[in-house]
Amino acid sequence: MATFVEKVLARAAGLPEVIPGQIVDVEPDLYMSHSASWRCIRALERLGTDRLHDPSRIAMVMDHISPARTAKTADDQRLCREFAARHGITRFWDVEAGIAHLVLMEEGLVRPGMVIIGTDSHSTIYGALGAFGTGVGFSEVTATWVTGKLWMKVPGSLRVEVEGRMPPGVTAKDLMLWLIGRLTADGATYLSVEFHGGYPASLTVSERMTMCNLAMELGAKNAYVPPDDVTRAYLAERGVPPGEYEEVFPDPGAGYVRTLAVDVSDLEPQVACPHTVDNVRPIGEVAGTHVDQVFIGSCANAKYDDLVEAARILKGRRVAPGVRLLVTPASRQVAARIAREGIHADLLEAGALITNPGCGACAGDGGAMADGEVTFSTANRNFQGRMGSYRSEIYLGSPATAAATAVRGVITDPREFL
Amino acid sequence: MNLVEKILARASGRARVTPGEVVVADVDRILLHDLSCYLTARVFEEEVRQPVCHPDRVVVVFDHHFSPPTEEQARMLQENRAWARRHGFHLFDCGSGNIHHVALHAGFIRPGTVVVGSDSHTPVHGTLGCFATGLGNYSHAALGLPFGKAWFRVPELVRIELEGTTGLGVTPRDVALFLTGQIGEGGMVYRALEFAGPYLEGLEVFDRWLFPLITVDVGAKSGHVQPDERTLSFLAELTGERPEAVRGDGDDVAEVRGWTVDGLEPQVACPPTVGNVHPVTESAGVPIQWAELGGHGGGRLQDIRLAARVLRGRRVHPQVRFNVVPSSRWVFTQALREGLVEDLHRAGATWFPPSTGSNQAINMGALAADETMVSTHARNFPGRNGGGRMYLASALTVAASAVAGCLADPREFVR
Repeated sequence: MATFVEKVLARAAGLPEVIPGQIVDVEPDLYMSHSASWRCIRALERLGTDRLHDPSRIAMVMDHISPARTAKTADDQRLCREFAARHGITRFWDVEAGIAHLVLMEEGLVRPGMVIIGTDSHSTIYGALGAFGTGVGFSEVTATWVTGKLWMKVPGSLRVEVEGRMPPGVTAKDLMLWLIGRLTADGATYLSVEFHGGYPASLTVSERMTMCNLAMELGAKNAYVPPDDVTRAYLAERGVPPGEYEEVFPDPGAGYVRTLAVDVSDLEPQVACPHTVDNVRPIGEVAGTHVDQVFIGSCANAKYDDLVEAARILKGRRVAPGVRLLVTPASRQVAARIAREGIHADLLEAGALITNPGCGACAGDGGAMADGEVTFSTANRNFQGRMGSYRSEIYLGSPATAAATAVRGVITDPREFL
Repeated sequence: MNLVEKILARASGRARVTPGEVVVADVDRILLHDLSCYLTARVFEEEVRQPVCHPDRVVVVFDHHFSPPTEEQARMLQENRAWARRHGFHLFDCGSGNIHHVALHAGFIRPGTVVVGSDSHTPVHGTLGCFATGLGNYSHAALGLPFGKAWFRVPELVRIELEGTTGLGVTPRDVALFLTGQIGEGGMVYRALEFAGPYLEGLEVFDRWLFPLITVDVGAKSGHVQPDERTLSFLAELTGERPEAVRGDGDDVAEVRGWTVDGLEPQVACPPTVGNVHPVTESAGVPIQWAELGGHGGGRLQDIRLAARVLRGRRVHPQVRFNVVPSSRWVFTQALREGLVEDLHRAGATWFPPSTGSNQAINMGALAADETMVSTHARNFPGRNGGGRMYLASALTVAASAVAGCLADPREFVR
């Protein structure tokens, strides 16, 4: 009787079973590296080898700075392009593609039961499709390029049972912020966080991505939502039939470090206040706080559904005078769809500045703040100095709260616009 | 008097002026972008410290940044904003578009007026029949802001007459590039240029735009097109009112030079300078990694439509990244309405916020050491965008090259 993570890591390690705390050598199915891929390449040069275990498992996406604004970055990106071409790495996406996580999921590369490592801490997001995803350092990715293996300590598991009907104007982002506020930033350190129950089952893959993405901010090793018809439909749309993956489910009676029951029926919109993600308050306690900038972007909340949620409030309204609204679609596919469906025009007419797809202001690609400025962001981190000045502040919340805040110029409860 | 003399005579309160004379003229419009605004503000607040004479004449557009990448740049924009608001200037924040396109679209440019700005391409406003020129930040700080004035030596006027008909795949940008090469950098130092002739008069306003734009490249003080019916109806549609036309009398011209556009081939300004212009056929086949529609002369709706002619049903070459930077929010909105955003996206292009795009690589557009970009931008000097080499061309040539992966003759793509 094993949890999700015990089963998935046992398979990847070629062992009949594993237990929490055990050190295993796993063979990841996919190794993602983002803009830092050049560091992996430089590390490979220092290893003195040019031999790659399996180039088809390597995926590179140039997402954090897109495109270059310095000659150094341009050189680094060219190094990655040339490396990919030389080694026959076909899963290479350039600066126009968008955020690595979204690109890999949209391309059907992330499948239930897979073990995926990435040079990005929010690689936990792959749990939205029932895969094991975790963030590792670039040198670990480099070593995996060469050996095809990476050691890991098998994590214990936290089981979160979420039930209830989410009230209008409240979203999966609010649930996760509430949970992070309650459990704190190290509430699930090195644990595999499994989301079960009627609420996650009712969600789209996009919302499940938000949940698994934010699980990182609990300190999680990975996150997981059990695959179901929603998962299968998402994959089928991307040309991946059920025969091409093996769903992994925890056994009934598996051992959890902790089990938590949550009812979302009375949840309110939540806001993470400066300067930590677990400094969470219900919207009522921070409403009215002045903002200079609103950023709708990042792998947490810049997917199609998120931009629709924001546009529902922004359409026919104007961004408050003096407030800058930055919107960075998560991927090229998202950018194309919002243009096609008129959402881009709605946002533009509301006064938004819509950038090319990518990590955008979340990763320091624009959106920097001067002393004393305040940003309301849909991203997943609000650490001091992350977006420019050490004397600026970042609040985190849902796209709906961000949109309502952009319209009023102060942090605003999105339910006022329902 | 010619148009420049008439404008400067009115603005300096004289019955007439003649070339060589120095006049102190009232300035009707001062245009500052995010970089020049910062420097002008510094000088003004540290050394001048007086009330601004006509704050409603000052237009500030943040166009080099579309989103500050560093804290220092954020602070610069924050100071600009505070300064503009304190004095009551018109402020267009990041994402509004290119300074000159925004100023024109927002109705700030009127025929017969004096327009100055820190940007060296400010003469582009001669398109609507202004006397428009670039001045240093100190000039704005010392004279423009406190007194609403600037001094000028009245330039001699040279009329450039263009006639003939361009062939398929040859655009007004090719003609403007050709002229730059023909006249030469520094070929018209401190002269005013009047672009005229049946070819030019047959162009719509945003195609005429490309001619006064080259003024600075040939060393001239200003460049203009005499306002005509097309200018006036353009402005009537834009602003809802029909302005008075100020026109020159036609004979006070130091020199007349003429070219025909018959038989002209698509042109490219090759590295390292804007005047190094050759037919595209001489550079065809040079591999490129970057292509961009944008800048003072690009990112017009016309450019986006031209690129779509090439790109519909085709794909950008896998080795090329193709950036599209609309020149203003109006252009972006219109491109969305016409389905151009989707069309170019499908072909592999990436859309960026309205701005000056890769100009000086503030938010984007840095090149690696041996990378090459072809763009509709106005400058190609070495080091301007990191490493690399830059070619300047028409939107058609840029799009055709993006598809081919190397500099390409667009005539093969628009048959």
